Order: sequence, then structure tokens, then C-alpha cells
Amino acid sequence: METNPSFLARHEFLIRRLHSLSGLIPVGAYMCIHLLTNASTLDSSATFQRAVYQIHSLGHLLPVVEWVFIFIPILFHAIIGVVIIRGGLPNYGSYKYVNNLRYTLQRATGMIAFVFIMWHVFHMHGWFHFKDWREGIAEPLGGAQFAPYNAASSLGAAMMMWGVLYPILYAIGVLSCVFHLANGIWTMGITWGVWVSPVAQKRADRICAAFGIVLAVVGLSGIGGAVRIGDHGQRYEEAKAVEEKMWDAKIASGEIDPEEGLHKRSDTNDGHASAE
Amino acid sequence: MADTSHNGHKAPDSFEVRILRQGGPGQNSYWERHRVKHEQDMNVISVLQRIAANAQTVDGKSVAPVAWDCNCLEEVCGACTMVVNGRTRQACTALVDRLLEDNSKEIELQPMTKFPVLRDLMVDRSRMFRSLQKVKAWVPVDGYYDMGPGPKQSREQQEVAYPLSECMSCGCCLEACPQYTKVELTQRDDESDADFQKRKNAAYDSSFIGAAAISQAVLFNSHPTGKNTAGERLDALMDEGGIQVCGNAQNCVAVCPKEIPLTTSIAKAGRATTIHAIKKWFDR
Repeated sequence: METNPSFLARHEFLIRRLHSLSGLIPVGAYMCIHLLTNASTLDSSATFQRAVYQIHSLGHLLPVVEWVFIFIPILFHAIIGVVIIRGGLPNYGSYKYVNNLRYTLQRATGMIAFVFIMWHVFHMHGWFHFKDWREGIAEPLGGAQFAPYNAASSLGAAMMMWGVLYPILYAIGVLSCVFHLANGIWTMGITWGVWVSPVAQKRADRICAAFGIVLAVVGLSGIGGAVRIGDHGQRYEEAKAVEEKMWDAKIASGEIDPEEGLHKRSDTNDGHASAE
Repeated sequence: MADTSHNGHKAPDSFEVRILRQGGPGQNSYWERHRVKHEQDMNVISVLQRIAANAQTVDGKSVAPVAWDCNCLEEVCGACTMVVNGRTRQACTALVDRLLEDNSKEIELQPMTKFPVLRDLMVDRSRMFRSLQKVKAWVPVDGYYDMGPGPKQSREQQEVAYPLSECMSCGCCLEACPQYTKVELTQRDDESDADFQKRKNAAYDSSFIGAAAISQAVLFNSHPTGKNTAGERLDALMDEGGIQVCGNAQNCVAVCPKEIPLTTSIAKAGRATTIHAIKKWFDR
């Protein structure tokens, strides 16, 4: 009675190594850029809006880039991650070592990160951009709240939809992602054989911890920046005003087609500025 | 608190031993309590000898003696490995007075949880030996004529290799590993012993190979003659259930009674398989 091993089994080494690599490139690298961009709200709403315009300057290529370099790698990393988690049996209760705790936390934060990212992408982008889906399903369910051409104001409003609830959920999600990346870089170095001796692993450990702390501060700053705008009437209005000015300038220079760009603006704008 | 640790000082007259028993493979396990009179310098093996001699539970019920494995009694054979007070270790070096420092009332004994139980505290660790076969944990020098002396090893090489050679295949690293999960098959009524062995080998081969075998592969790949078959060992490490299953919990190195640098071996094997995979990819 011979049974052929499954595809996953036959290519287990390659798949696990790709899983390891995808966590750093592109998923981890993307997350660093994402958190840094978000933290730019602390400088000013205009700085953040400028960064978002820069990302959206890719135009029709943006969804392709997003799917190839962000969504598909995240889904791959998450799905293989679930398979890996199902194959293990955490035993921190019996063997209370720091590295064993980190093994358990790596799995826990991975699962939190997966749920968080799915929710976050729905909350901000509604998962899909088809008009019927967005207006009929995503927005009524509280999703698709982010308007790229009203970046800071829509982000602030989305963050403060339910008082302190969303900032807390975002903080938990971001900190889980940051731990998962920082600890993941350390284990990745062992997996690929970059740091081999205990001394080298200790050294790498300190560097990963420092990286994680810095990234956690950056991530929480982004949330703080969004809260700052969304929680304060005047700052919100100021953000709105500067976004109007930038939109008008983009229209005037012909950089954006007002018809095509309209769906990336908040519904509350009534289009009055663009009509001028 | 130093004075309580000395033999006899403040030690109880007797203590209870809680043992997880099992009549045979596939049968239900159950806890049983025995009372043992305290003696000087006892270890868990001598406790088990007293329990076998008495063969009576705390309720006065006569029972079959508890079965266990032991051999060298100096922590170099690994035969008496079991879970003592929730921690995997050798029964021979588990000293009663030390154990009673944690809990002066009782000592808890369980068979290893990652291997099939044969009876009581005896387990079948053949999966580990299968793993050693899989990675060819030996130096191939068999032949029809004298091949002469092997190449000389430098002192540095010897000092790296010696700790790895201390592995006694006790299985502590596997017992504590969260990625190493139990594989237990039962023989079918219509199945011959040979077929059952074949089925077991296939199941073992597709499950995680574990730290002990990875470290042995590293040991023999560093040996001047063993190097000749380094590629075969790396291929085995990259098979299903190979080194990629390691989750870097690093419990293996923390529980190893011989203090073998297992995580260093794992990282070395990680590097070697990385290079081996790239070479194979471009060479074919």
C-alpha cells in the first residue's frame, strides 16, 4: 500500500525556506515602510498626504504591485504559518525557558497578526475596490474608511470611529506584528545559518530586540498621529483644508484626472473644491 | 536555605511516588501512588527498586511491579530517561533529596510522552534510531581490504567534535521539543511484522527528525572521512521531516544532560543545507 507524499511534503524544505524568506522580504520590509509612512502624520497632515500621493502615483500599476508584493506574500506566509502552527505542540508550561516562551509567542502573535491584518485591510480599504462591493457591503459594515486623497483626515476619522476601541485594537495588532517580525528575523538567522554560535546568536538577539523596540515606537507613533488628527476637531479641519489645497494643485497640474481620482476622496467633500 | 539540602537533614521519613502506569502498548494509562521509606543517597532508580520489591500501592493493594529501563547508572547510556517531576531526564542521576527540595511530599514519574509506551516507564525509542539511520550517522569505512589510517584531525577539530560525540541517544532533546510530536502506530490483525515495520519506518521518516540526529549529521559531516558522504546526509536533512521543521524553541539545548551545543549544530546544519540547496539548484 504505497501512498505518494503530498506536494507540501515533497517540497517541505523549499516551502519552509520560502515561508521564512517571505516574512522578511517582502512582508517585513513592506511593514517597515508602512509604519514609517504612518508615523509621518506626526510631522504634518501634508507630509502624510504627500507620501500617499507618491504611492498612488503608480496609478493603475498600484493594485498589481500590491497583489504581487504585498497581498500574495502575506497570504502565503499566513497560510503556511497556520500549517506550521498545527504541526507543533507548545509546551511552555513544562519547560519555562525564555526561548520556548518566544517560540509560543511567535505563534500567538502570528495568529493575532493574521486576524488583525485581514480586519485592518477591510477597515481601511474594504478588501476590494469594486464600486458595488464598496458601497453596498464594505462601507455599511464600517470598512473602506480610508480615502487616499483625504489621507490624514479619513485616517483620523477611521481610527476614532469607536472611541478608544480602535486605537487599542491597532496597538495590539501593530505590537504583535512588530514582535513577530523582530523575533522572526532572529529565528530566520538561525534557520538559514547566518548566526551559528551561541555568542553570535546572543549578539543578533540584542540587535533584533533593539530593532523591535524602535519599530514598535514608530508603529505606535503612527497610531498616535492618527488619533491626534481624528480626536481633535480643529486638527481634523486643518488636515481637510490642506488636503483640498493639494488636490486642487494636483488637478491644476493635470497630474490627476478629477473623474478617476474622485473615488479616492472622502464622500464628505461634496466635490466643492474640485469644482472651482 | 543551604542546610536543608544536605542528606538526611530535615528529610522526611518517607515520601510518596506518583507513577503514570500503562499495562502495554495502546492501553489506557492511570496514576498510581506508592509510599517509599526514605534512605540516604537514593536516586529514582533505587526508589523504583524499592517499589518493585514492595509492589503495593498506598492503599495496600498488591500490584504488578512497575517496569522501567536502566543500564549504566552513570548517565552515559540514556536507557533510564523518563519524565521526573514534569521534566525529562535520566532516572539514575535524579537524586531523591534534590527532588524532595522542590516538593517534600511526593515525586512524580511519567514515561516519555513523545515515544510509544511499551509498559509503565519503558518506551520504544526506535524512531530516534531510525533518524540516525536516515542521516547515516556513521563513517563508512567497511571494505574488503585495509584502507590504512584516516587523515589526521587537528586539535581544534577534535575539540568541536568531542562534545557532539557525547550524545547517548537518550531522547531528552526530542521529549522537550515542541516540534517533535508523538508517532504511534498499532499493528493490524492481517499485517506481518515486516509490513508493520515498513509502515512504521515510513511514518517515522516523514516526521521530524529531531535535534539528536541533526547534531550527529553535523558531527559526521565534520569528520575528515565522514565528509565523503556529506551530501547524502544533507539530502536526508532536507527530506520531509528534516531540519526545516525546527521551530527554534531551543528547548533541546536547555534539557540536554550532556550539554551538547545542539542549537549550534542546528544552525550549522541550516547553513550547510542552505548552501547545499543553492548548489544543487545551479548544478543540475
